[in-house]
Amino acid sequence: MLDILVASLADGLLLGFVYGIAAMGLSLIWGVMDVINLSHGPIIALGMFGVYLAFNGLGWNPYLTLLLVAVMGLLLGIVIYGVAVHRVLNAPHLSTLLATFSINMIIIGVGTALFTTSPRNVDFSLGSFSLGHITLPWARVAAALAAVLVTALLYLFLYRTRPGKAIRAVANNRAAAELMGIPASRVLALSFGLGTMLAAIAGGLISTFFPFTILAGGRYELKSFVICVLGGLGNPLGALIGGLLLGALEGIIPAFIETSWVPVLEFVLFVVILLVRPSGLLGSKS
Amino acid sequence: MAFLEIDNISSGYGEVQILWDVSLKLERGKLTSLVGSNGVGKTTLLRTVMGLVKPWRGAITFDGREVARTAPYAKASQGLILVPEGRQLFTDMSVYENLEMGAFTSRAKVNFQDNLERIYTMFPILKERSGQRAGTLSGGEQQMLAVARGLMSQPEVLMFDELSLGLAPFLVLELFEVLRRLKAEGLTMLLVEQNVQLALAISDYAYVLADGRVELEGPSREVAQNEHVRKAYLGI
Repeated sequence: MLDILVASLADGLLLGFVYGIAAMGLSLIWGVMDVINLSHGPIIALGMFGVYLAFNGLGWNPYLTLLLVAVMGLLLGIVIYGVAVHRVLNAPHLSTLLATFSINMIIIGVGTALFTTSPRNVDFSLGSFSLGHITLPWARVAAALAAVLVTALLYLFLYRTRPGKAIRAVANNRAAAELMGIPASRVLALSFGLGTMLAAIAGGLISTFFPFTILAGGRYELKSFVICVLGGLGNPLGALIGGLLLGALEGIIPAFIETSWVPVLEFVLFVVILLVRPSGLLGSKS
Repeated sequence: MAFLEIDNISSGYGEVQILWDVSLKLERGKLTSLVGSNGVGKTTLLRTVMGLVKPWRGAITFDGREVARTAPYAKASQGLILVPEGRQLFTDMSVYENLEMGAFTSRAKVNFQDNLERIYTMFPILKERSGQRAGTLSGGEQQMLAVARGLMSQPEVLMFDELSLGLAPFLVLELFEVLRRLKAEGLTMLLVEQNVQLALAISDYAYVLADGRVELEGPSREVAQNEHVRKAYLGI
């Protein structure tokens, strides 16, 4: 019993790193511009298909392809910002929800037409390894390491570089940033691009161990919401820790009750935290 | 020609007109003040000059260029800088990072080190607190940081909105001493104040704004002698 628990906990934690970067993308956009990006899920799915197409079509290494997926995710986000988000940014929240939801529908529609909804998978195995009684696939470990690397780079970017600091300044006080000569619109476009880039990377990593369709991003989008609430908004490290918490829960819960209860308990947790501590377990922003 | 010229500006929010054909000139190297009671449109005028509020009619010329439709960040990068009301610091960032953001534009960035040293001599407390989060500073320190951040932008024209608001008298005097030094260095400034007496005492030229219109203008000394101003604003 303990072996199973430890194995599924380790499994869940490793997955949690990937949930973490997906949530970081949602949290970044939400934290910087108060926009809930409802196209987050389909962009995760596009990340999956990016790796799939490069691997199955061109035989590229999935992990190297992630770099390209990241760049595409960044550019796509900047385009989405320019086309759909910028003009409704100062309108009531419903407008940005509808705008990003339309992007969601467009990606899903085009994706379904191109790829159908039959499951795909990236048949690339790194093998697995055993540690005592636990056997874990290397793909999970690689994904977790990639997630840690991405988090560290994001941190360095936000806290050590000029454009990164400009993002934090715009998030903190957009009008004041503009008064200091910071082109807020460009900074917002960049932030949105970084958010979608993180989603695309998360999708690319997930594709290396789960089968997927163009609709597969939805559940990770929902998990990202739960994680954002767990970790607090606008804090990359909070998102990563929230992801680990959620991953751990997903590892532990099935050891006691049926797996189908996992989303139920996740969302019970979501509601409870919103009621008790709306700034998030680790959040400082009130 | 004046360094900054506001020519018959009308503006407001939504359907509500706040400013009615306001004209104002800042001469190079002079300290100009704009005084008036609460709610007459002083802050709206500054926000319109910066472009945070779009002007309905009228022209704004800065250093010979028409800038009424220019984005706020572009004006800032030309050296037109506002120290906004209520300080508007980046409260989640450190004191040092606030100063860095002040020097965001390329023209300010090249002189970052020189300007930083100048700021730290002017406000030694900011050097002591450089690693501290700006939101944790006291009110007076926050106002100093707001002024310092403005100076880091290497301003050609520096505008202050309610510099003295909510500050202890000794801090107000300290900040006005800084203004006097900047004036001696030849910086062009606009001081928007509710503290009419202080503003008139330090400035070269003054405008009195009432109900969104310029009610009176003239050399500050003359404005301070004006019978109506003495009664309405100075309580004499």
